[in-house]
Amino acid sequence: MTVRSTAEDYTKEKKAGEGTYAVVYLGTKKSTGRSIAVKEIKTSQFKDGLDMSALREVKFLQELRHINVIELIDVFMASDNLNLVLEFLPADLELIIKDTSIMFSPADIKSWILMTLRGVHHCHRNFILHRDLKPNNLLLAPDGQLKIADFGLARLMGSPQEVLTSNVVTRWYRAPELLFAAKHYTSAVDIWSVGVIFAELMLRIPYLPGKDDVDQINVTFRALGTPTDKEWQEVSSFSNYNKIQIYPPPSREELRRRFIAATENALDLIDGMMIMNPANRWDTVRCLQSPYFQELPEATLPQDLPKLNK
Amino acid sequence: MPTGNDISEATPAEGSKDAATKRISDDDLYRHSSQYTLWSFTKEQLLEKRRTLNARVVDKVNERLQNTISSHTDLSQDELDAIKETAVPVSVDEELKFVNFFARKVQSFCQSLNLPTEVGATAISFFRRYFLMNSTMEVHPKHILLTSIFLACKSENYFIGIEAFAKKTKSQPAAILKYEFSVLESLRFTLLNHHPYRPLHGFFLDIQHILHGKVDLNYMGQIYSNCKKRITETILTDVVYHYTPPQITLACLLIEDEALTLKYLELKFGNVGVPSEPESAEAIIEEAKSEEAKSEEPKSKESKSEGSKSEGSKSEGSKSEGVKSEESKSEETKSEETLSSSKSGSTINLDLLTALVVECKDMILNVEALSKEEATKIDARLHYCQNPMLLVDRLRRQKQQRDSSAEVAAEPDSKKLKV
Repeated sequence: MTVRSTAEDYTKEKKAGEGTYAVVYLGTKKSTGRSIAVKEIKTSQFKDGLDMSALREVKFLQELRHINVIELIDVFMASDNLNLVLEFLPADLELIIKDTSIMFSPADIKSWILMTLRGVHHCHRNFILHRDLKPNNLLLAPDGQLKIADFGLARLMGSPQEVLTSNVVTRWYRAPELLFAAKHYTSAVDIWSVGVIFAELMLRIPYLPGKDDVDQINVTFRALGTPTDKEWQEVSSFSNYNKIQIYPPPSREELRRRFIAATENALDLIDGMMIMNPANRWDTVRCLQSPYFQELPEATLPQDLPKLNK
Repeated sequence: MPTGNDISEATPAEGSKDAATKRISDDDLYRHSSQYTLWSFTKEQLLEKRRTLNARVVDKVNERLQNTISSHTDLSQDELDAIKETAVPVSVDEELKFVNFFARKVQSFCQSLNLPTEVGATAISFFRRYFLMNSTMEVHPKHILLTSIFLACKSENYFIGIEAFAKKTKSQPAAILKYEFSVLESLRFTLLNHHPYRPLHGFFLDIQHILHGKVDLNYMGQIYSNCKKRITETILTDVVYHYTPPQITLACLLIEDEALTLKYLELKFGNVGVPSEPESAEAIIEEAKSEEAKSEEPKSKESKSEGSKSEGSKSEGSKSEGVKSEESKSEETKSEETLSSSKSGSTINLDLLTALVVECKDMILNVEALSKEEATKIDARLHYCQNPMLLVDRLRRQKQQRDSSAEVAAEPDSKKLKV
């Protein structure tokens, strides 16, 4: 049996950030010198014991080992606090997108999307929904590898009768079924988010930036067309369907203008990821098998991807 | 059984060389789960684990008993005898039965709280795993009971606030939260449980598919609900440490209807090579294979095998590995579960599978439960072996009471005047 690890095994060198339920420190693992991040979960202030987000993060990261999912190296208790030892990841995709001094090519975008889809595929084949995919949660390792992080909203795929909360995913990346407050949904919600991220990488600005939840519905359907019963059986029976405006879907020509640098295969992929009806939306396998990943240019090797200038 | 060292090709991050031909199966994924890597044991390993734990604590308890006896020179022979009889440490077997006795209490609490089946199963699992790491002589099961349930609710997305939870269970929030981290730590921070309920749903559908027209739907519904109850019973036993969820499910099905289950297994896994499955399944496989071939990414150094899903492939049935496919975890994959033996040469050996399931069935049927009286006795020993002087105090108190009441009774009879 492995020896229980303790705070002694790691150094906490500097505070890197503070969130609602955790403080993050940068440090090293003493035995190997490996750079790590320690997420110290604030516990005492929560009257219900261990916070649900922290619990989900531990629960799912313990089961996932994949090059495109953040590695949970260790967990230990120190002075009544729960500490998650994670691999150190200095950047995220949002920082890269926002940094206007960084140029990136279609091959770079392909590489990031490929790594994202691989990570998401690993989650989905383990029956785990992430439910909060956005550029800010796609972290970048020093060697260029992209890692999906923040499993605080993750859950196992529901059984058919189970009611799921639709109050998940950061607004701009929220799939239409969530906008309709569906009580049952699938891994397709994550795919939608990846589609929005794909668009954002090409546009360098948020694709569907709703100002509030109501506006999000409007922004989404104005850009992509309002779904009808023809393509999505009984979509009109969602309670808030009547209130929404009906927009036509964009023509292919319009999409070509919107994503000026995208190839036809790239457009097919983004189209497939943003199919309104979640039952028809592409899954990770279909996405990964897209001709987009087989045509030139080849995806940039992770180590050659643009990095933040520091 | 679980060795945990046969997983190299299944480690997606390693970029295996033969990734193009080797797909990651559900078995591979299951072998990566904490349930398999940390909480699956051979019978010998499990016994050894419990023995080691028990021995460590027994040594301590005996030492303390000796110290008590030698530091209290005023103990009478009766008191020494009582200590020797009642304040003795409990054995491995007694601990196990005592834990299971309380695991049943966990179960009935969950039922009275109307918790979903899976939440209850997880609570029982947490509770029993805790006592693989801690002896009942160190922590009394009653302290862990509610904490296990509370944590299971959180872990299974069935959150109940601590105030409400304490109210419903007539307990104190502090008493429940006090052990939360201890439980987490003992669980080695692994919270995801694979229970046999989902495989049951998968088999329920697949049996109807394979034995189409030969089974009555109402009858199958009856089998389903009986099995569900029986599965909950198995969560209370050691089979969960030795068999995978689908194996346990098959064992339960075997108990419910042996003929049906054997027939199903035979049609499903027998006659390898003869397509027992009609066109559709074969077609799906072929399609998947060719798409997989096409989808070879031009340059990627990372494992390609993740580009293709392989739910439903049951890639081995070897008993030494002891793991069968983690069956039908999601609705989408259920239809694909019918892809059976046609995958890349590796097949399930019907005889081995049947033998394994029968073995599991026997284990389920051979569970000994503890009677209330026995539990009370063990309870007393747990208490007194920790605090032998409490036993002595009690004896003295009892004696005093007896004497004084004897005195009262004997009052008229002056012969019995001794104090």
